[in-house]
Amino acid sequence: MILGPGIITGSVDNDAGGITTYSVAAAQYGYGLIWTLIPSFVVLVVIQEMNARMGIVTGKGLADLIRENAGIKITFFIFIGLLLSGIGNTTTEFAGVAGSMEVFGVTKYISVPLVAILVWILVVKGTYKIAERIFLVFSVSLLTYVVSAIMGKPDWTEIGSAIIHPQFDVSTKGMAMVIGLVGTTIAPWMQFYMQSSVIEKGLKMKNYKYTLADIIVGCIITVVVAFFIMVACGSTLHPNGIVINEAKDAALSLRPLAGNLASQVFAFGLFIASIFSATILPLATAFFVCEAFGFEAGIDKKWDEAKEFYVLYTGILFVSAVIILIPNAPLIPISLWSQVINGILLPVVLLSMMVLINKNRIMGSHVNKKVTNIIGWSAVIILIGLSATLLILPVLSR
Amino acid sequence: MTSLTTFYLSGIIGKEAFGADGDAIGVIKDLLINAVPSGQNDPNQQMVIGVRLKIKKDTGFYSFKTFRVVKAREMINVACTGLTQLSKEEIDNGLLLVENILDKQIVDLNGRKLVRVNDVRLATLPAGTFAVAVDIGIDGLLRRIGISFPIKRILSLFKISIPTKYILWDDVQAIDFSNLNIKLSKSYAKLQMLHPSDLADILEDLGKKSSTSVFSALDEEKAADVLEELETHAQIHIVESLPVNKVADVFEKMPADEVADILDELEDDKAELLLKEMEAESSQEVRELLEYDDNLVGSIMTTDFLSFSETKTVEEVLRELRTKKPEAAELYNLFVTEKNDRLIGTFNLRDLVVAEPDATLSQIMKSEPVSLFDNQKTTAVAEIVSKYNLLAVPVIDQNEQLQGMVVVDDVVEDLISERKTRKRK
Repeated sequence: MILGPGIITGSVDNDAGGITTYSVAAAQYGYGLIWTLIPSFVVLVVIQEMNARMGIVTGKGLADLIRENAGIKITFFIFIGLLLSGIGNTTTEFAGVAGSMEVFGVTKYISVPLVAILVWILVVKGTYKIAERIFLVFSVSLLTYVVSAIMGKPDWTEIGSAIIHPQFDVSTKGMAMVIGLVGTTIAPWMQFYMQSSVIEKGLKMKNYKYTLADIIVGCIITVVVAFFIMVACGSTLHPNGIVINEAKDAALSLRPLAGNLASQVFAFGLFIASIFSATILPLATAFFVCEAFGFEAGIDKKWDEAKEFYVLYTGILFVSAVIILIPNAPLIPISLWSQVINGILLPVVLLSMMVLINKNRIMGSHVNKKVTNIIGWSAVIILIGLSATLLILPVLSR
Repeated sequence: MTSLTTFYLSGIIGKEAFGADGDAIGVIKDLLINAVPSGQNDPNQQMVIGVRLKIKKDTGFYSFKTFRVVKAREMINVACTGLTQLSKEEIDNGLLLVENILDKQIVDLNGRKLVRVNDVRLATLPAGTFAVAVDIGIDGLLRRIGISFPIKRILSLFKISIPTKYILWDDVQAIDFSNLNIKLSKSYAKLQMLHPSDLADILEDLGKKSSTSVFSALDEEKAADVLEELETHAQIHIVESLPVNKVADVFEKMPADEVADILDELEDDKAELLLKEMEAESSQEVRELLEYDDNLVGSIMTTDFLSFSETKTVEEVLRELRTKKPEAAELYNLFVTEKNDRLIGTFNLRDLVVAEPDATLSQIMKSEPVSLFDNQKTTAVAEIVSKYNLLAVPVIDQNEQLQGMVVVDDVVEDLISERKTRKRK
């Protein structure tokens, strides 16, 4: 089995945050927002292709490139943002762990510390590579959403027409939902992750075709899973007028509507996705921050050699787990704020990428072609527009 | 005026230089230092020789001789008494502190690793201005962002101090010369003294462009040792990005089994091209090894070994070793063969040293030696090495002819790398 960086990245992309956003959006708008997956898919492919190309040509991580070319202040801004959103996102993953286990009747005071310790040991004791493979096999379980969706007996013609006639709700809530959907599909840290994986695999320009295929397959996985989550929730929760705030709610409310099995399948998928991302996210975040600021990093280093790295990694994991364990933790504001940070960060990272990838000095003959530039720049402009709206909306709605 | 003024690069970049009459002359964009040392401990190698100055809309390089950095009441001021343009040659032989050092990765020769530069510390002495050290600590980072002072104030309330980390300029090797037409072998001179394994680790962490240029600056012997130590995909990158004749020269200096391992990973056309470019003798050995399957003993054996006839005396053998000066691994186990290369015994350095000079090999050798067949599975090697406590095991073919030997180093490498691939991120 050949697992390229694209497929791995695509699987990590559907984390607890993603599942939550897709279910909440579908519960509220039914099939109405499924169309957003199509532009998201196009932009996702274009962005990841750029990351892969930069990684292959330069052999340098995105963090390295940004630090060396964008100056220290922008770097500082990006990586403080990345750190905060890393903590926020990891918190969401633990919320996913807590929520999914509660569906099976396990309290979060047991599941969360247990998972946190397990994840920490997995990474620090150096069996990460095996863990990654196990998770990837398990992440096939994300396809169980297809089962969940079909059990909800959706109306396929209605779904089809909803995609062909995209609806756009110009209210504060509707806009925020669209931004949330795009933001969770194209998370900023994924760009760094993608580029590092490409370098680690030692891919080469002459195998570019396979790399591209791998990226497209990865993005299809992401979008297909998202599609079925939205169908599952859109066909059951929406017609019954059930409004949810968490992915756990989706799992619980599926029970009376689509059966106990559908509900448990949904929860199991959420659990696996949450653990998988709770392993990778803190690790990746700590790694990129260290890369940018020049600290030693990597799990093949000893604690003394890479103190900053391990402290950061442990810190992110610890803080995130503790936040979830606080009784009545303000989960919704936390996930909202980490989405806001993502929303501000994404255009900045993309902007840096677009500038870097068009520099001859860095990319040589592999600078962007016209089509990629057009799609890339439009994505940047639209995302900046969306993020600006997201920031202004709360002010306007007061 | 004090004779010593120290300042940071970040404190001077973007500052106006003022003339004697107090007029602003231009904005300092970068400092140029002497990058090509004329000798090992050339004190001038870290002297600031030029400054990139933006005057109105034009930027140019000017000699630093007419510039002086002075500190008055904690404020850095740059005084300038005139402008002399630098020649192209002077610029090409220099290293730009902002362009090539700041925010870039450099090699810390003492720590033998790559670090990122947050700031550069300079000092003005009567003889001139010099780069003294690079700042790689958190302190430098905060200073660059401009929040060092407030954070230090807050932390001092809790009696916490921010650690400062400097590397002296002597222990710094710049990597990124991308914009200069500099002679690389000279500029990377400091790297030659690092151990090949350390150099290999550094090359693996570098970007593709830099790793190629650093590698091509190494002399052939060093390059061969480093290439051997690199991980597979780094090896392939180096081999594919350098000219064929250069790679062939390096290959000739490497043990045949290591070369075969690399060629195995390349495309057939490229491998053939390299084999043709190598000297016939070296390429023949490699070709023979390439015929073995990956999981057979033949694929991991080295063909660099020493064999003698049983009639040789201890003294003759020692003399031969002195003239040949073989690599350490070749001495792990020494072989005695008959006319048609049939293996009949082994002996080691100890046997040789404790024996009388006129004793013959037939008297000191261990006959009926433990050996491996070239078409045996590699899984058998570890067991034999540990069971008989051997540093190197002879490899024979079906006709009992000696083909090579498997060295314990290579087996250990395989065992560890098996574990490592599981461990690495």
